[in-house]
Amino acid sequence: MTAVEPLRIAGVGYLNAAPLVHGLAGDPGVELTLASPREVARRLAEDEADCALIPVAAVLEQGGLEILDLGVSADGPVRSVVLVAARPFDEIRTVLLDASSRTSVVLARVVLSWMGLSPRFLRREAAQAIAEVGGDVAALVIGDPAIDLAERFAHSIDLAAAWRAKTGLPFVFAVWAVRRGAVRGELIERLYRAADEGISAASAIATSYAEAKGERPDRFVSYLTRNIRHRLGAREREGLLRFAEEASKLGLLPDVPREALFPVDPGLGLTNADGPRARRAASVDALLDRVVDGGRLSFEDALHIYREADLFALGMAADVVRRRKVRADVVTYIVDRNVNYTNVCTTSCRFCAFYRPPGHDDGWTLSREELGTKLREVVGAGGVQILLQGGLNPALRLEWYEELFRWIKSTYGLGLHALSPEEILYIGQLEGLSTEVVLARLRAAGLDSVPGGGAEILVDRVRRQIAKAKCTSDEWLGVMRAAHHMGLRSSATMMYGTVDRDVDRVLHLLKLRELQDETGGFTAFFCWDFQYEQGTRIAPGDHGTVLYLRTQALARLVLDNFDHVGSSWVTQGPAVGQIALRFGADDWGSVMFEENVVSSAGTTFRTTAPLIERQIHEAGFKHARRDVRYAYLTEPT
Amino acid sequence: MATARFQEIAAKVRGGERLGFDDGLALFEEPDFLSVGALANEVRERLHGDRAYYNRNVRLEVTNVCVASCMFCSFAKLEEGMPGARTLSVPQAIDSLRAKVDPSALPTEVHMVNGLHPGLAFTYYEELLSALREAFPTLHRKCFTAVEIDFFAKHYGMTTRVVLERLRAAGLESMPGGGAEIFHPEVRRKLCADKATAEEWAAIHGEAHELGIFTNATMLYGHIETFAHRVDHLLRLRALQQESIAQGRPARLQAFIPLAFHPEGNDLRRVPGPTGVDDLRTLAVSRLMLDNVEHLKAYWVASTPKIAQVGLAFGADDVDGTIVSETIYGSAGKRAPEGLAVDELVRMIREAGRTPIERDTLYRVITEHPRAAAPEASFRLKDRREGRHLEVVS
Repeated sequence: MTAVEPLRIAGVGYLNAAPLVHGLAGDPGVELTLASPREVARRLAEDEADCALIPVAAVLEQGGLEILDLGVSADGPVRSVVLVAARPFDEIRTVLLDASSRTSVVLARVVLSWMGLSPRFLRREAAQAIAEVGGDVAALVIGDPAIDLAERFAHSIDLAAAWRAKTGLPFVFAVWAVRRGAVRGELIERLYRAADEGISAASAIATSYAEAKGERPDRFVSYLTRNIRHRLGAREREGLLRFAEEASKLGLLPDVPREALFPVDPGLGLTNADGPRARRAASVDALLDRVVDGGRLSFEDALHIYREADLFALGMAADVVRRRKVRADVVTYIVDRNVNYTNVCTTSCRFCAFYRPPGHDDGWTLSREELGTKLREVVGAGGVQILLQGGLNPALRLEWYEELFRWIKSTYGLGLHALSPEEILYIGQLEGLSTEVVLARLRAAGLDSVPGGGAEILVDRVRRQIAKAKCTSDEWLGVMRAAHHMGLRSSATMMYGTVDRDVDRVLHLLKLRELQDETGGFTAFFCWDFQYEQGTRIAPGDHGTVLYLRTQALARLVLDNFDHVGSSWVTQGPAVGQIALRFGADDWGSVMFEENVVSSAGTTFRTTAPLIERQIHEAGFKHARRDVRYAYLTEPT
Repeated sequence: MATARFQEIAAKVRGGERLGFDDGLALFEEPDFLSVGALANEVRERLHGDRAYYNRNVRLEVTNVCVASCMFCSFAKLEEGMPGARTLSVPQAIDSLRAKVDPSALPTEVHMVNGLHPGLAFTYYEELLSALREAFPTLHRKCFTAVEIDFFAKHYGMTTRVVLERLRAAGLESMPGGGAEIFHPEVRRKLCADKATAEEWAAIHGEAHELGIFTNATMLYGHIETFAHRVDHLLRLRALQQESIAQGRPARLQAFIPLAFHPEGNDLRRVPGPTGVDDLRTLAVSRLMLDNVEHLKAYWVASTPKIAQVGLAFGADDVDGTIVSETIYGSAGKRAPEGLAVDELVRMIREAGRTPIERDTLYRVITEHPRAAAPEASFRLKDRREGRHLEVVS
């Protein structure tokens, strides 16, 4: 046999998956890593793994995968995915859950919807979630802590049992999946061989697991041998399809056509998930029709549209969706000022020309006096907020920000749209405080909303290349999640056009959509392409005005749970900013007085209100001024 | 959703029926501007597939002295001797051109447009053309707008036909489309009363066509004119072309070029100039109305490379050339960079999903580039004046 690259396999560290991964650990042809289901799905999507045991929600969302007839399912009670409550479920308003399983969350929403319930979901550590159960608060508990937990609560639902009762079908939680055509033959046989060994050794695996935890083995043995099944057959496939159907009815997952799941290589036990035959049948036009009718785009659908749709078809679909989402005849804008409080920054992003490292002669931080002058001008011009962003400056501590915010609020009464996730994380790091504590203190000092800057591309492969020192995509999303859970709203952005590919941009949008499903805290989305200039240290990648319009239109279609999409006239210029209003945007962003990051990149597009209003009118819309939550401050005219 | 009126027009276009004045007006007023663009794109793709043309050209202006006083012009200076006035001798003109071009990669065309200078002899222009022919035999000489031809005829006491014949004999090969502005007398009276009239302009182009001189045509829009004036302008050009076709003249109008009006530095400062949507719509309506003119140019100097790129989907099949030197738009606060390198043009066309074709002045293919991005399409990082910043967030 010739030498081959080891197969990169991402598995899940849960007991229920142990029989599937157990036999792979010592295999020299395999590079096995274990992580949470969420992380495992990310690795497969972002090409860090060839094969992964991923939650079925991720299978349905990503598309373009082949699944093996191996996974984690239950045909009746599963015991490890349960809802618990102190009171009857029809009194429940809030469900706490930990972040580890999207599939279970979707299943919980589906089961609760059958009961006519739609509580809000909030994230908590598992132990914390269990501790907080009471009154109208329930918990969704997943994994080991869930086993036999039901006995301790007055009310509980085993979600797989509820699924079985209603549908008569087993529920599939996770499956081995490979990217279509990526791996073949022997490597896949290896997974089946390992599973055969693991399944027959299930009792022994459960026993040693229990012993390692210092617990009695019997409940784990029965769990792993009776509740959990690892071989998937026709009934499981039916169950999977039914799940896709139920979830898409609620708008939680893309609508997967029935023919999308079919065996493509019975010899290898491979089933195509969202397969090419089905996809070819669904032409670009049919996909656009579906999304215009309110359907949700899967990863593969979105990519297909992004690559193949005609510019006009894409624009028209985005325009129809935009007119349905928000008032059809109005484009909003906000009067604000972008204030950069410091240019000192430790991250040295390769696309940035604005920053100076700490200690550099050209580093500056604005004084109160300088700030005061700027803020008085904002108030004088009828401005309602400032967008305050700077750099990661080690000299500025949390108290400095708190005092600054209080001073701005008490002196000028302006809205504070301030500090991107990166800055919030950095302050937390400097102070040794959690994101939640930093946000709570900033909010107490006057923070109104969080700008969505620094998102760049929320795919870590890309982030590592362009902004090594920046937070990971999960950290960025984590700050936004925390902010949203606290009731703070935020915007979301995407800067593309460096080393990113179209796949990365689509993933970025899906990550935003997923968080928005969970929190609903994003107000709007803005995107623009990387603007090369002197001082940046990276070559431009995919670019162009046509690509900008296509990308913005795609974002409008993928981000079906966002109300607003803004055109980025500051980067694209007013002419393109105006055209973008017909490619899905309903907002013109801000009438900016100042944008140092932009200016340092050599451009200063400034527009005064009457000129902006003319652009809006000539594009066929009325204009209205708005606040940071997109409420009208003036009547549309 | 497009209006019923638009659907009617679309049916006409698809059925090969010629559009009328009211149709043109309705297209300018159609609320669904994307549908207008998509229809123009259908016609464009029927004519040219996904091909998009550019050329390598160099600009020459030998004098900015001008007797005309057009409201929209930031370029003309009235008299010799006034500050900024500048006239080159024939040898100076040749030297200035030599200084602009790279001898190892000569452009294929020299595009020359001048002020209406009252103090030069007609032989100056003949000598200039001959000198150009001698110094740069491979450069196609596309020179003099109809307004200049009209001025020569009146100023030197010749018929326009004689002017054209003498210039052709001296080396003139084709003519640019400038000086058309807006034909309608309501506008032309205010805009440029002392210039060739619409009828004179059209007659000169007709004569040029008879003499085998291919010409272009332009329209300066976005100032004081109405949509009706624009439609009227397009219909006059269509009639001119129809006449050249019907008469079997050996040359035609090759390309139509809508020119966005730029307000800075001239007498129309308070007119804001066209918006991006108007730029694209004007291209699209032009494509639909001018069914007998083969090419439509999204002139990137006038509308910025960004709009020109999108214009390739709104009916345009040409982005003009590399343009080594351009001073007219330069003095009107132009929105575009000085010149674009070939690889920038190629990249811009590819980014629009089109196949870049280098053409000569008469639209003969010089190089057909592969459609897929190739290393030659790497980004050129020189003097881009617009669009470069990083984090703008709201």
